[in-house]
Amino acid sequence: MEDIELKNIWKVYDQKIEEAKILNLQSWVVNLKTFEYLQTHKAQSKLRSLANFKIWAIVAGIVWLLFLGVLAYGNHFQNVYFTSSVIAILFFTIIAVAVYIKQVVLINQINYSESVVNTQQNLTELQASTINVARVLFLQTPFYTTFFWSTKWITSDIKFWLIAFPVTLFFTFLAIWLYRSISFKNANKKWFKILMGKKEWESIVIAKEYLNEIEEFKKG
Amino acid sequence: MQKEKDDFLHLINENKGIIIKICNSYCSNKTDREDLAQEIIYTIWKGSKTFNPDFKFSTWMYRVALNVAISFYRANKKLQNNISLDETEVEIEDKVLNSSSEENLHLLQKQIAGLKELDKALVILYFEEKSYKEIADIVGISETNVATKLSRIKEKLKNEITKFKK
Repeated sequence: MEDIELKNIWKVYDQKIEEAKILNLQSWVVNLKTFEYLQTHKAQSKLRSLANFKIWAIVAGIVWLLFLGVLAYGNHFQNVYFTSSVIAILFFTIIAVAVYIKQVVLINQINYSESVVNTQQNLTELQASTINVARVLFLQTPFYTTFFWSTKWITSDIKFWLIAFPVTLFFTFLAIWLYRSISFKNANKKWFKILMGKKEWESIVIAKEYLNEIEEFKKG
Repeated sequence: MQKEKDDFLHLINENKGIIIKICNSYCSNKTDREDLAQEIIYTIWKGSKTFNPDFKFSTWMYRVALNVAISFYRANKKLQNNISLDETEVEIEDKVLNSSSEENLHLLQKQIAGLKELDKALVILYFEEKSYKEIADIVGISETNVATKLSRIKEKLKNEITKFKK
């Protein structure tokens, strides 16, 4: 079979489209109603939905930040452990919110008129960047085990050293390990799937595979 | 405003063939195809206001349409994997294949539907008579790379079609 034969097969497509009046079947494409629909910006792209989801996450994050601020302020810094824990959680939440804000900015900067490979790479990297938020958020977990500490408890109760302190130590090591281990290279591991949840995990694995595919495609 | 609207509708009318072909290549069911066509047209409409006339319009439009189609396809990929290959043929009112050329087209569409999304973009542009230079510009890889990849894809398509016909 020659190249021209392949092209001739494709040319039948144009004839069939005309004959079958597919263009008429899809007349909504050019009718006034569709145009008004476009004009009123009711059409929501998938990317827009993603941006909206992230905007909601930012709003929720800010509400959480305000709540933490009230907690820290309400305590009047009387309990240093409570205040320090809240400030630490506040710090990591601020980072997560900042990452989400950066992602929304990136979504708004995605330009579909750039080359296919560039745009697809930017979109997929954006999808994959969810992993960075998860890593940062895990770092705050030890501070959920320290806010009820007190000097009196530490100095006079053996239970603190036998139970509370080892628990905090465990969560500290776990948080550091997770921060270092949550990465693309571990995406296929079972613990990663359990940790991230099936949907998020699938999205990360698909993004990872696609980024590899794009790299391969660029190489030729 | 009316002129702007007319110009846009004229533009879409002129290029609706390729929009439909792209939708058919990346979506296997009618609802998805309509959603995708709408998303492509919406993105073109949005982008047309900032389009730089120094660039070739068709190159810009192909980039937009393919980027939207691939992103749409990827967002629905899991769903698509569960759909049988038979559903990937073009939506034609008269489904009876009444000539060998139509049968060949049906086979070709099936083979294209099975390609990876970036390879699909290459082959659609090739069949739409775009030069290697323009394909390279739209897709974002070198001309040599376009030539190498297209050669492989064409060989694969030819082999599969010949195999089916035996």
